[in-house]
Amino acid sequence: MSGPSLQSTVHDVADAYEANELFQRNGWTDGLPIVPPTEALVLGFLAAAGLAPTDTVGVEPVRRRRITAEKVAIAAVMAGCLPEYMPVVMALVKAVCEPEYGLHGCTASTGGSAPFVVVNGPIRRDLGMNATHNVLGNGNRANATIGRSLRLIIVNVLGGIPGRLDRSTFGHPGKFTFCIAEDEEDSPWVPLAVERGVRAGASAITVLAAEPPHLVMNEWTRDPREILETYAAAIRANMLTYSIWAGNYAVVIAKQQREIISAAGWGKREIREYLFESARVTRGQWRTVGKAAIAGRRNEEKVHTALRSPDDLLVVAAGGPAGGFGAIVPPWYGAKSLAITRAI
Amino acid sequence: MRVLDPRLEAEGEPMKMAAPLLSLDGAIVGLLDNSKIGTDRFYDHVEDILRTRFGVREFIRRRKPDSSRPAPSATLGELSGADAILSAVGD
Repeated sequence: MSGPSLQSTVHDVADAYEANELFQRNGWTDGLPIVPPTEALVLGFLAAAGLAPTDTVGVEPVRRRRITAEKVAIAAVMAGCLPEYMPVVMALVKAVCEPEYGLHGCTASTGGSAPFVVVNGPIRRDLGMNATHNVLGNGNRANATIGRSLRLIIVNVLGGIPGRLDRSTFGHPGKFTFCIAEDEEDSPWVPLAVERGVRAGASAITVLAAEPPHLVMNEWTRDPREILETYAAAIRANMLTYSIWAGNYAVVIAKQQREIISAAGWGKREIREYLFESARVTRGQWRTVGKAAIAGRRNEEKVHTALRSPDDLLVVAAGGPAGGFGAIVPPWYGAKSLAITRAI
Repeated sequence: MRVLDPRLEAEGEPMKMAAPLLSLDGAIVGLLDNSKIGTDRFYDHVEDILRTRFGVREFIRRRKPDSSRPAPSATLGELSGADAILSAVGD
């Protein structure tokens, strides 16, 4: 035991290099090196969050595994977080423990999803999070390590180990980390979390069990319908080639397209309504993508929408200032996992 | 340097394995279907093998309403009369 307050087993190692070797050898990481979770660091992270080691942050509802503050702090240290990131990590853990998120199913599934996290509110700036250049890629400590913390919790606390509980056929790069901030300062639109019921000015996270982002590009029009039709085409392709079932899709729209869309007087509501109408396919269209064998099992005229309603679409303003790019982020498996928004 | 173990420690009573069946002859076997395409036909084959080669007497077949969520407790209750249960993933 480690002392009067911390509960975890202690391992003695020579130095930080050997600590990483121990964790790598035992499969206690995502494959990347870790910051050694020493008692002092973990206690510091807990203090920053105002939590006792044994406090319950969340309980995974299927296997009933209790996630304690101590284990969250250990993961956050390992991931390379700063102590002040803890409130975001805590909110994230609580969100994925909501039954509607279906954490067990989306972790164990061959479909191989990753939690896609969008951070809103003043905490983005306090933590220096990135919402612009290379937003879906590398380069920002908070974006990278907050997302990574959740992965390390899934692996070490929930047993989401590839080939064991995690049965993903492929997985995708977002399983290392998949966390962005919304570019609220440079967007005319209502922040995602506010649209989803969080008080304006408050900080919040939204998390979606997601497949990898698919980029779209259209910089040859000033008609918002034409820009959004490119997104709709990518969503329809996903419906036919991957999964036809309706659920939460996210679209990430960079500044160049945001300016064109908003200049036409369109906000997020209009975007959601357009894509709800346009992103739909018939079952019979499966025949065009090599899936004739199952197309005819039911009514081929049946129309499938990507979204159950316009509210299913998460519209996020983020990305670098130049380039007519955007991204669609598809759901893991229709509405079997729903996006969760939670105030920090 | 002292580092903390990142894994969850076990809580509560340890789970016990049920005693293995010595024979399937005359047994009742539950077949829990995960509701994906293909499981039904797969279980038809399993049932045939268990009945003809191993002498299983009776089957209780139940289908989960959702492949990604646990079986409802009522379904588990219906399966509880079986001597052994198979839970298989078909796709």
